[in-house]
Amino acid sequence: MKSSLFDTVSGTPAPTQAHARAAAQLKARKNRRDRLANLLAYAVLIVIALIMLYPFYWTFITSLESSGNIYQAKLLPASLSLRNYAEVLSGTTVPFWRLILNSLIICTLGVSLTVTLATLAAYPLAKMRFPGRDLIFYAILALMVLPNEAGLIVNYITTIKLGLLQQTHPVLDALRQYFAVVLPGIASIVGLFLLRQAYLGVPQELIEAARIDGAGELTIWRRIMLPLALPTIVAFSILEFVAYWNSFLWARIMLPDKNLMPLSAGLLELSGTFSTNSRAVMAGAVITVVPILIVFAFGQKYFMKGLEGAVKG
Amino acid sequence: MTTSSRRASRRDQHRAGASGARRSARNTLIAYAFLLPFLALLVLYHTWPVIFGTYLAFARYNIISPPEWVGLDNFRELLRDEQFWSGLRNSLKYILVVPVIQVLSILVALLVNRPMKGIGFFRTAYYVPVVTSFAVVGLIWSWMYQQEGPVNAVLGALGLHRGGSLLNNPATALYAVMFVTLWKGIGYYMVLYLAGLQSIAPELEEAAVIDGATRTQVFWNITLPGLRPTILVCSLLSTISAIKVFEEIYVMTQGGPAGSTYSALFYTYSRAFQDFRYGLAAAAGLIIAVISILFGLLNFKLTRGGRADA
Repeated sequence: MKSSLFDTVSGTPAPTQAHARAAAQLKARKNRRDRLANLLAYAVLIVIALIMLYPFYWTFITSLESSGNIYQAKLLPASLSLRNYAEVLSGTTVPFWRLILNSLIICTLGVSLTVTLATLAAYPLAKMRFPGRDLIFYAILALMVLPNEAGLIVNYITTIKLGLLQQTHPVLDALRQYFAVVLPGIASIVGLFLLRQAYLGVPQELIEAARIDGAGELTIWRRIMLPLALPTIVAFSILEFVAYWNSFLWARIMLPDKNLMPLSAGLLELSGTFSTNSRAVMAGAVITVVPILIVFAFGQKYFMKGLEGAVKG
Repeated sequence: MTTSSRRASRRDQHRAGASGARRSARNTLIAYAFLLPFLALLVLYHTWPVIFGTYLAFARYNIISPPEWVGLDNFRELLRDEQFWSGLRNSLKYILVVPVIQVLSILVALLVNRPMKGIGFFRTAYYVPVVTSFAVVGLIWSWMYQQEGPVNAVLGALGLHRGGSLLNNPATALYAVMFVTLWKGIGYYMVLYLAGLQSIAPELEEAAVIDGATRTQVFWNITLPGLRPTILVCSLLSTISAIKVFEEIYVMTQGGPAGSTYSALFYTYSRAFQDFRYGLAAAAGLIIAVISILFGLLNFKLTRGGRADA
């Protein structure tokens, strides 16, 4: 077959029919090979998907059971009941609704402050000329590689010295402690880079025109930069929401009051207090994952883009 | 009409030197006003810990009384402390996870980079563990590893294991935790490699195929060198997080059984938040930091600085 193809190329023009037949044969063989490769690829993809998703599925179906051998591998629940969910949601042993409220407050506070600060700080670094700009930019870059192992310890000390863990008045205490949870994460270097990158793509002429028309920098930031950087802002907000929703270590180390913990940190508390009923803890785990999956499902496209941007930036 | 005359007058103003200087001073002020909140928090929570943490490493401190300079005492104590050494050994052993996670993520990225129907579903599925918190992931896997749990069922079916939980066995606990790190991390690195793969010009690969290169040759001579910058970033990230492994251990084993999963950062954590010996903990943190920097440099060397043409 190969030689016949050569004939058509180098020798005298062969009959076009033979040429077409050879080409068709080649194509058919290639198609067959591609189909086989695709089949094999799907098989591998499915096996990996099972390894990635089965633990979640298994936890979910086990949380639906009311009796039986709890840790056994299974494909379907042995019995169906919402008892475990009722037990968690009733909040008799763990202040479940309070934990959810804490998580929502921490996420709202954290995401809005983090995004605001990054969108503000990235603007002069991308679009203004002023002495010290490059120095500041490279200093922040260098900070990224600086080791931060003592971070947990020193930040804990700082939080105490700032008086954020004082206990004087119930409402004020709660407010201060929510701030204590979010403050260390608010200055996000990755966010600054992402947004600076997005701002750099905004045409300079647009900004100059606005300046000539007498617009102040704050107006330019709000009316031009923010709308044009919106896709990046959305991606970054989703990344931050996931991060704040999932954070547990810092909150657990720092919060003296169990009632103020976010859901993820509270889940570990749950696993202690509910130790006799692991299925209830599994129900708690499922409830903790669901909001992330919803946000992730809706923002998946932005999410991946944000992550890719974080690497390039 | 009015706007154009206003524009003209502003242009004149701009040309006038004195008001231009005033304008630029104002400009600088505005720029710093934009930066101030971010920089203030950055210094407080990123720079200050590095400075104060380094100082604490040479001090005795319990928050209540002011820090007291003790020179190298903390480091001398660490050198004698068998628990610190075993934590450090476990953290270094944890680096074993790095080559495995990198090779597997590259293979998975190549697989999901194929233009096939439904590939978006698989990419998303592999990313779900990444967006789940360590609190949840750790709990799920500590159930999965139970004596009669799914992991042992699979191992049993393969004829590899009978008996107790992998997490309760000092010989296997560390590797069991490593597997969870691997499972949670693959999706993250997959996305990074996917971005890397898509930045390689397809013309290069096509040209090689036309020149008669086989798929394997294309992979070794074009795809892999093209991925080198990504490999540097990814292996750097995963080496550093392996040395600092903590959250998985905190949720799943608390350092046990028999100290077999006790990592260097776990040592730091327990010295600070259980014994309130912040100076000693900071000294251990400083040693971990220096080790991560050394491994970071090693990564640069092994990937030839991540240059595609090297």
